[in-house]
Amino acid sequence: MRLDERVGERIDRAKAVSFTFAGWKVTGFVGDTIASAAFAAGKRVFSRSFKYHRPRGLLCCSGHCPNCQMTVDGVPNVRVCTEPIREGAVVEGQNVRWSLDFDLMSVTDKVGGPFTPVGFYYRTFIRPRAAWPLYEKFLRSAAGLGKLDPHAGHSRRYDTEHRRARVLVVGAGWAGRAAAAEAAKAGPGVVLVDEDVRHADLELPGIEVLAPARALGIWEGGLVPVDAGTLLYRFRAEKVVVATGATEQPVVFPGNDLVGVMLPDGVRRLVRDFSIKPGERAVVLGADDETLAIAAELEEIGIEIVKVVDLREARPRELVAEGGKGRVRRLLLDGERYSCDLLVASGGRQPAYSLLAQAGARVEYDDGLGVFVPIVLPDGVEAVGAVTGEGLSKIAPEPTYPGRGKCFVCICEDVTTKDMKRAIGEGFDSIELAKRYTTTTMGPCQGKLCHLPSIRVYAEQNRMYESAIGTTTARPPWAPVELGLLAGRELTPARLGSIHWRHEEAGATIQWAGPWKRPYAYSDKPEDEVRAVHESLGVIDVSTLGKLLVEGPDAVALLERLYPNRFGDMKPGRIRYGVLTSDGGRIMDDGTIARLADDLFYVTTTSTGADAVTAWFEWWNAVWGYEAVIVNVTGALAAVNLAGPQARVALGRLVDDPDDVSADAFTYLDAKELDVAGVPTLALRIGFVGELGYELHFPSPAGEHLWDALVAGGARPFGLEPQRVLRLEKGHVIVGQDTDSESNLYSSGMSWLPKMDKDDFVGKFALEHFAQRDEKEKLVGFTMEQNVVPAEGAQIVIEGLPAGRVTSARRSEAVGEVIGLAWVPTERADPGTRVEIVVDRQRRGARITHGAFYDPSGERMRS
Amino acid sequence: MTPSFLSPSRSAEGTVASPLRRALEEADPAAVRDLSFESVVELRGDVEAVPLRSGEELLRLSPRRGFLFTDDDAVDAVARARAAGVLAYDATGAYAGLAIASEQVMRRLTDLDLDRIPTAGPFAHVTALFRRDADGWFRVYVHQELGHYVAEAVLDALAGLEGSAWR
Repeated sequence: MRLDERVGERIDRAKAVSFTFAGWKVTGFVGDTIASAAFAAGKRVFSRSFKYHRPRGLLCCSGHCPNCQMTVDGVPNVRVCTEPIREGAVVEGQNVRWSLDFDLMSVTDKVGGPFTPVGFYYRTFIRPRAAWPLYEKFLRSAAGLGKLDPHAGHSRRYDTEHRRARVLVVGAGWAGRAAAAEAAKAGPGVVLVDEDVRHADLELPGIEVLAPARALGIWEGGLVPVDAGTLLYRFRAEKVVVATGATEQPVVFPGNDLVGVMLPDGVRRLVRDFSIKPGERAVVLGADDETLAIAAELEEIGIEIVKVVDLREARPRELVAEGGKGRVRRLLLDGERYSCDLLVASGGRQPAYSLLAQAGARVEYDDGLGVFVPIVLPDGVEAVGAVTGEGLSKIAPEPTYPGRGKCFVCICEDVTTKDMKRAIGEGFDSIELAKRYTTTTMGPCQGKLCHLPSIRVYAEQNRMYESAIGTTTARPPWAPVELGLLAGRELTPARLGSIHWRHEEAGATIQWAGPWKRPYAYSDKPEDEVRAVHESLGVIDVSTLGKLLVEGPDAVALLERLYPNRFGDMKPGRIRYGVLTSDGGRIMDDGTIARLADDLFYVTTTSTGADAVTAWFEWWNAVWGYEAVIVNVTGALAAVNLAGPQARVALGRLVDDPDDVSADAFTYLDAKELDVAGVPTLALRIGFVGELGYELHFPSPAGEHLWDALVAGGARPFGLEPQRVLRLEKGHVIVGQDTDSESNLYSSGMSWLPKMDKDDFVGKFALEHFAQRDEKEKLVGFTMEQNVVPAEGAQIVIEGLPAGRVTSARRSEAVGEVIGLAWVPTERADPGTRVEIVVDRQRRGARITHGAFYDPSGERMRS
Repeated sequence: MTPSFLSPSRSAEGTVASPLRRALEEADPAAVRDLSFESVVELRGDVEAVPLRSGEELLRLSPRRGFLFTDDDAVDAVARARAAGVLAYDATGAYAGLAIASEQVMRRLTDLDLDRIPTAGPFAHVTALFRRDADGWFRVYVHQELGHYVAEAVLDALAGLEGSAWR
């Protein structure tokens, strides 16, 4: 029921807003929260409790307790007491079977208690073990909060913003404002953060106010993430001032969770902010003057005050809230019943020290105040106001009050005093262990309303002082936070070569290749692209290849010691294939090395190896102290491989003088600088795909131009899949696919490569050992006896036992067979040996081969 | 030897295109601009030995590595640096550059202290070089192959400035 218009109310009565609440249409006003509008419309039950499915109503109205968690527009666990009203919102109950007012699962409250004591889930539902998935499904369905849709897309946009502050003040109460104002005198860079929407319009000179926004924790270096709804601020503050005040604590007595039992500040918010009359007949129960003072405020708005109980003086032998249909109807106090529909109760205020404790503050029990207060603060963090205990009066309610009925210590997790006593009786007498066993303080309020009461119960049961029990560990976040906010904006870096859009325009299927996006094929018939390369002309974008310049007087010496190959004898303008080995002699990467000048080399690496190879080179260069520089020019240069019998003619049309690329002037493994279609180009005569070919490396910005020129000259684009077929036909190894971290040059069939007569190189020591031992397995080729293609990774089976694995396999039109590479035992690695390969769960015969499947003499490549 | 095949400016007219061309096609030039043709030279050695001309800026990343941003043709700048005994490489084609007007967009994409620019560091989860104009614009350079992605991230952040309200 709304009161007449009042001074200070936050609602705009001229602007009505309608939404659906648990199937009912509810109308409130701009300025309302969903909860205030629903409460004004007569709704009292907002949720069902975690375990017993007891009806729960508004308690704190400040976004701290779990009682008003609902699903709003599909987003679960929204605290509707702080959620602004919005037109057309759909608000639904959660953890409910049937309706909020009549929940079928509330049967657990009536009869389930004896069967569901604390920790029952550790002791029951164990046998038969096979039935656990069923139990788990039932338990998850019966208990818990709102449901997350694991397949849901983004429900809203979330952003992250990195901020810096000289002083970040958390809490805009009187103490926080005073601290911010004082800090602002010293200059700019003061930010004040508060979770209360009432501070949204707060303006303070020289201070940036963020509200509603909630500090989630304090980390090293003054890192404070601040939840501002859909925006997460990541503050780096030179100083953090915590002014989070104090939080009202519930009184622990039977029936203390009934709908209509509220904390004083929650009642004040309903009255002051939303002009709502929260009841007709009230009982006030308090342990401090501030709580008891609410009686006068309620009387003022026409609520009959039935009874005021000062818990500092009274020591009730019996204190029970009695209800009907889950709502408070009366208070039973020492045999007397007081009829009421509102029971305002508070056990005093506990400093809200969680942020400080998370940051490393030492917290101790203050016997004088009866609460925990921060004692020692970490560097860079200060505390002001009630969070330090300042201004609080001594409170000392009984840990529990006697009477019949469930007496809740933790309303989030439905933990009663009986549960806690039982846990202690079972030996969980440390507060940290008991926390884990009972889950007290582990619910949505994160201990804001149950930490102090639970410690009081423990102290009483164990006959100890609260100071001897201490606190449980406070962990961030200070309040629940949406996972989407923590995840932030989805940013997935994708490397696109400068020719990428031409591939998209040509209809290529694009796939991830490491961090790059590359064309798989340009049609659903990759074999057509293979055929084009063999019969006429193809072009593939190989811009992803790693590309390094190595320059300096010691460039040769550096490469000589990095690679098992020899480079000192290379003439400028020549190219050599190289394989990098680790210090353990294993294959790391491969590529080509072109000598451009006496002191300048151009090195290519695998597409995913550029960064690692650069770091490897720089590391050893620094270790050896060579005078050489390594420059990663991978992105600076685009590269294409023009391949096929027509490659020379096609390239000749694009250079100034076709004689520059004649068979005599530009021989196999030559490198030369050319202008191709007006673009300065480093042309390398090499052939990964087994046909006459040129790798053209040129400035990335000219990628589309040169590609267009080559395609216009008759080159058919081919993608990664045709390239894989072509290289397999030549038996060319792909490092990382056909080799692994244990592969070495001898086992991989490249014993010709290492120059063991060199003084030294990385991996030489290990290679000497490999050369002397018998390798257990070798990388070989194979052809299938039948026209079936084994999967990469398929098992090689010998005499019924697994003996090896396939690394690559494709059907080759040019070879006329299914071909592949595989690791097999050395004794089975001779050409012609028959092995079996598992294909679609059937063993299929295959014959071992050595060397290239296609053009084994390399005539086409060298032509 | 200066590798000429690194230099886009040696290409014939009309043969080069910006890696950001598509991403920034419809972008508001008052918010974000393409700097990809700005000359960038990577320096190795005693980088401070390179004589700077008016308007040039040297971003020194380490004692023997830096980047020279210049309005000159990069080929000339490379020659000038090499004449000063510093190894230099035309990196114009290696980097995509964006000028960004909004400090808030910057704050959404990097956690660097924006008062301490020029520098290098993370931007939209990739590594970038940062400069700042006299008129307050931020200049961000990333590897050209990441340019399109970063430009989209910038435009996305710009779009997000409209929608950051409490639920």
